[in-house]
Amino acid sequence: MTRPEPLLQTLKGLTRRSLGVRIVLLFLGLLLAVQAVSFIAIRATIDRNARTSIAGSLVAGDHLLHRLLDQNAQKLIQGASLLAADYGFRSALASHDNDTIASVLANHGDRIGATVSALLDTGFVLRAAAQPGLEELQPAIYRLAERAASAKPASEIVVLGRRPFQLVLVPMRAPVVVGWVLMGFPIDRPLMDEMRDLSSLHVSLQVRDHGQTEWRTAVSTLPLEAVSALDAHTPDTSLELPDGEYSSRQVTLAQGTTGDVTALLMRSVDEAVAPYRRLQLGLGALTLLGVVVFAVGSVLTARRVTTPIRRLAAAAERLGAGDYTTPLSGRHRADEIGELAQSFERMRMNIADQQQEILKLAYWDTLTGLPNRVQFRNAVTEATEAARTAGRSVAVVMLDLDRFKHVNDVLGYRFGDLMLKGVAERLVQQAVRGGDLVARLDGDEFAVLLADLDPANDQALAQSVAQRINQAMDRSLTLEDQSVDISASIGVALWPHHAADTDTLLSRAEVAMYSAKRRRDGPTVYDPKLDASSSQTLSLLTELRHAVDHGELRLYLQPKLGLDTARVVGAEALMRWQHPQRGLVPPMEFIPFAEQTGFVRVLTMWIFEQAAREWKRLHDNGLQLTLSVNLSTRDLLDQELPQKFEALLIRHTVPAEAFCLEITESAIMDDPERALGTLERLNGLGFRLSIDDFGTGYSSLAYLKRLPVDELKIDKSFVLSMERDLDDARIVRSTIDLAHGLGLTVVAEGVENAQAWELLRALHCDEAQGFHMSRPLPADEFLRWSMLWTARHAQPALPAGSGPDISVTLH
Amino acid sequence: MSYLHPSLAAVLTLLIHGSAVAATLSVSVTDAAGRPLPDAVVMLEPASGRLPVKPMAGVEVGQAARQFTPAVTVVTVGTPVNFPNHDTVRHHVYSFSPAKTFELKLYAGVPATPVVFDKPGVAVLGCNIHDQMAAWIVVVDTPHFARTTTAPAHLAGVAPGNYRLKAWHPSLPADVAPPATPITVGADDQAATVRLATRAAP
Repeated sequence: MTRPEPLLQTLKGLTRRSLGVRIVLLFLGLLLAVQAVSFIAIRATIDRNARTSIAGSLVAGDHLLHRLLDQNAQKLIQGASLLAADYGFRSALASHDNDTIASVLANHGDRIGATVSALLDTGFVLRAAAQPGLEELQPAIYRLAERAASAKPASEIVVLGRRPFQLVLVPMRAPVVVGWVLMGFPIDRPLMDEMRDLSSLHVSLQVRDHGQTEWRTAVSTLPLEAVSALDAHTPDTSLELPDGEYSSRQVTLAQGTTGDVTALLMRSVDEAVAPYRRLQLGLGALTLLGVVVFAVGSVLTARRVTTPIRRLAAAAERLGAGDYTTPLSGRHRADEIGELAQSFERMRMNIADQQQEILKLAYWDTLTGLPNRVQFRNAVTEATEAARTAGRSVAVVMLDLDRFKHVNDVLGYRFGDLMLKGVAERLVQQAVRGGDLVARLDGDEFAVLLADLDPANDQALAQSVAQRINQAMDRSLTLEDQSVDISASIGVALWPHHAADTDTLLSRAEVAMYSAKRRRDGPTVYDPKLDASSSQTLSLLTELRHAVDHGELRLYLQPKLGLDTARVVGAEALMRWQHPQRGLVPPMEFIPFAEQTGFVRVLTMWIFEQAAREWKRLHDNGLQLTLSVNLSTRDLLDQELPQKFEALLIRHTVPAEAFCLEITESAIMDDPERALGTLERLNGLGFRLSIDDFGTGYSSLAYLKRLPVDELKIDKSFVLSMERDLDDARIVRSTIDLAHGLGLTVVAEGVENAQAWELLRALHCDEAQGFHMSRPLPADEFLRWSMLWTARHAQPALPAGSGPDISVTLH
Repeated sequence: MSYLHPSLAAVLTLLIHGSAVAATLSVSVTDAAGRPLPDAVVMLEPASGRLPVKPMAGVEVGQAARQFTPAVTVVTVGTPVNFPNHDTVRHHVYSFSPAKTFELKLYAGVPATPVVFDKPGVAVLGCNIHDQMAAWIVVVDTPHFARTTTAPAHLAGVAPGNYRLKAWHPSLPADVAPPATPITVGADDQAATVRLATRAAP
């Protein structure tokens, strides 16, 4: 029982897996089922037909046997009748000579083959006989006589000497019935043979003596051994003889005083079924042939169906694996598979096209045709991998166009696009070494990959490339007959010096680039100090926060004096950090950082609140001053700044007019619309507004006009060199004139000596600030100094030098 | 049907009338079922001895339309019988009966010599050419004989004494002698009935 199970499992698995096997099995199964049903039906029909035909032939045999016996009887009756009508015989009868009569009977009997011939009187008593021993027939004769009652011939089968005899009784007339002629002959082999010839039935005549029960075969067409089997058998409808099965029919021929005679008609079942058996064998062979043909046919059909399907499956597999290049076979079939293959092929081509499009979109910048950020990033990864094994290094130079947004705003996006294309072209053609990868990362941001560098001079090489790019950008770009000045901020980062992985490397280059943008002093190589996200910066931020919370910051004030009266008119509020360990930390070391991280807003709030408090103290001491507070870009972008300032004004009960808020040009230019909104709201609150470092930026006069400012603060670089450089002096004069033309107050920074003071006074500058008057002072000292200054300079005069203090201002 | 001897079946009934010297005997003949048989021949023979008889003259059994006419003829012993042929075809008249065996080979017209029936008994006549022709000639050796019609046969002038009453009919088997019944005739007329074990008419 264990063996068929795995076989069955295997077969099940095979049918589940293979469509072909299923088709073949289905076809063969159906065929076999149909054949089996028809075979059973045919077999049943054959059997029924055979038995019906046997039964029919037995019935026909029955009729035939009676007919033959009848014919024999008629022949005998004719013979006997002739004898009975013979005149000579009748004459002999008249002679009453029994011997003569007997000899006549014998003579006539021989003529017609009768073995019994006798003469009976009218009372049917035996009168003369040709054979001895016929007396035993007397009872049978009386029975015959009854049937011959109307003086007609009659016949009967009797048993005589244990053999069946056919007797006839014919009246003898002269002319009335004067006696009867009895004739008989044995029913013998020739009759049975004739029967067999005519009907192909076997015939056995069986005899049973009167009073006996045992049948005995008197004559038979069966072979001898079958006859002996027959003797032992009680005849019924089916016989089992040595040579096979027979169907039989028992025909009673005589039943009388001399004994019983029956004819057993037999038909060999095998013989009757033989032709059908041959037919069945033929059908079986045909079935076998059909199975073979079907098997071959269905295997071929299954192959025809499954082979292309398998090919399609393989093709789909290829598509799934990303191979879109191999065309599908079998597309030229006209059937459903062909259609499917064509659909697959169309799908393959579509996917291939889409794949290419996606790749293009994914890895290339459509505007400039340069690789995009994704491809650049991949290239950097590959380059670092390669460099890692080769012991080389990699540099990324990243650049961002300055003021590109402004160009877009003023000249339109189409022009901006043209400019980007021009920059890309110039970068590829002029700036980089052959083989360096140039990519457009985003907007106006480009990058160059310098791979396979020698670690010994990699930084120098990267810097030289950056310098070359810087120079290439310096030359103006001519687009559509317009010449545009361009410049770029360039940052450089190296692997493995600045970063261990691609993303960090890119972000470090970006940090360097933004730093360069702020500092405006050419290409910058990454330094952790530049990086707001570096660990150094994080610790600084923590310390700064600590400084605010624990009062480590100090308010310093640098006086502003009226040039005409030399009186103190105001002061600029500045910040100093009294670090517990490091001592006094200069603003340059934490203010840019605070601007980067946004912490500058906290500092602005701190200094504004200190300034408000101090103004109140100064006011209480009788000083009417305007205190200036610097605002950074971050502050201008803070929408809530005006509200916060207003809240502080209310808390400290100080007027907004007491404060001047200083803003650099560049702070406004980052997002002019938002900055303008904030400025207008501050102006609305009553604050004075001042443009700080005027002259370093690119503010147009038209733009300046839109700003709600009250004051211009000339950058100290002009003031410092004013005495030596005539151009700068002119700038200062023009600026003063311009500001006055616009109704603005002008403040000069960086006044370090009396000459400058005098010059500015001559130029009608309104206010001055600088070391010549005072360096920034702690708040307490400022009050004292102011009192002293006022007392000393009651009259407008040339302020005396007050020492070599270093002025540090908040930018 | 079983075979019965006619003598065993005979039944006699006697009725005695008056006291005349010569009496008349009326004999009814019936078949086995008791139905009266016409054309039966009855004869009365003395129990012993013999009564003188005379041959009859001019007796003919003709053949016409392929039949014997009459079919039954009663003659006394020694009577010559002629067999004139009235047909256009010839006949071959024969008899194998022990009472008279003869044959008249194919002839036409009247045979030259008549056949003399000189022994009592029944002669069955046939024609060798026409099997269906049959005739009986009953040869009696007594003057007392008569034939029944639908009525009984009358035997007149019978002297009283002991007799054998015989009855015959064509339906009796050919090879069987007519049964004889002893009967005593007195002075008065009497009647008798004879039942014959006949077969169905042929």
